[in-house]
Amino acid sequence: MNQTPPPAGGAVDPQLLEILVCPVTKKPLRYDRDRGELISDAAGLAYPVRDGIPIMLPDQARKLP
Amino acid sequence: MNSVEAAPEIFDRTLLARRRARAAPRVHEVAPILDAAAEILLDRLDDTTRRFTRALDLGGRGAVAPRLAARGIPFIVSMDLAAPMAARAGGMPLAADEEWLPFAPHSFDLIVASLSLHMVNDLPGALVQLRQALAPDGLFLASLPGLGTLQPLREALAAAESETRGGISPRVSPFPELRDLASLLQRAGFALPVADQDRLSLEWRHPMALVADLRAAGETNAIRARDPRTPPRALFPRAFAGLPLRHDAPLLVMTGWAPHDSQQKPARPGSATTRLADALGTTEHKAGDRAG
Repeated sequence: MNQTPPPAGGAVDPQLLEILVCPVTKKPLRYDRDRGELISDAAGLAYPVRDGIPIMLPDQARKLP
Repeated sequence: MNSVEAAPEIFDRTLLARRRARAAPRVHEVAPILDAAAEILLDRLDDTTRRFTRALDLGGRGAVAPRLAARGIPFIVSMDLAAPMAARAGGMPLAADEEWLPFAPHSFDLIVASLSLHMVNDLPGALVQLRQALAPDGLFLASLPGLGTLQPLREALAAAESETRGGISPRVSPFPELRDLASLLQRAGFALPVADQDRLSLEWRHPMALVADLRAAGETNAIRARDPRTPPRALFPRAFAGLPLRHDAPLLVMTGWAPHDSQQKPARPGSATTRLADALGTTEHKAGDRAG
C-alpha cells in the first residue's frame, strides 16, 4: 500500500510531468506536491494543477514573491 | 510587448479560452463535424509507414486522441486552451496556449492539430515552437478552415448588418489561404513541407443549428475588433433568411517533418557527377551562348 497522500490539485501522470517546461522561459519546472503547483523559478511563476490537469497558462499562474 | 516582431492581436485568446470552457459540456453535439475533419486529417497517417509512439493532440476536442489510440499510439497528450475541453479530449489532459507551448524539446514524434490553429495570433511563432517540441523525423499534421469557410454566413451577416445598422463589423473569422501555409511551414523550419486542400461538406437543417454547432465547438466570434454592442434585433433573422444551408468548407491540410539526416533533400549545386547534356544526348551551350 502506498501511504503518501495524493498530491494537492490531483495526481498528474509522471510521464507528462517529465516533458513539461515553463511556457515563458522553456526552463525546467519544480513540482510542489503539497501545493499542487508547478514552479518556474526562472519566471517566478507557479502554474496550478486543478483536477489533475496542469494549467500551463502564464495569465493563470501565481506570481511568486 | 511593442517590439517590431510582435504579431498583430487579431483574436482575443482569453475570450476564446472562456468560449471553449463553456462549450466543453456540449462539444459532443458537434462531434460529427469534428470527427469528419479528424478522419480527413488522420488519413495522412496511413500514407506513411512510420510508427509513432508519443503524440500531442492540439485542441482535438475528443475527435483526435481516441483515433490515435486506436492506431496503437501508447502515449497521447491532449492539450487545449481550456481545461474542461482538454479533460474531454481523450488523452492526458493539459491546459496550455499554442502561443506559449510548455514542452521540452523533442517531447513528441507526432503532433496533430485538427481545426485548432486558426485562432492563433502568432501562427509562425506557434509553428516554430511546435517544430521544436518534435523529435527529429517527427511529423506535424494540421488542418485549418481555409479562406471561403462560412463565406455565405459572412456575406449574409454583412448584408443584414449594413441594412439594419448602416455599417458592418467583423463577425466571422478571417481564414488563411493555401499558399500562406506552405511558406509558413518552410519558415518554421519544417522539412518536406506540404500544404494541400481538401473539402469538408457541411449541411444544417436550420440556420440556428449552424449557430448551435459553432457554439458547441467554442468557435463563436473571438475577434478582438468585434462589435461589443448587442446586435440589432432584426440582424440574425434577416441574415438567416435565405442563408444557404449546404456549404463545402475548404479544409487546408499542412504536413511537415522535423528535419533529420535520413530525409531526402536537394543535392548541393555543382555536386552532379554527370552532365545534364549527356543525359539528354544534346550539346551543352555556355550560359552566354545562344542555343541552336
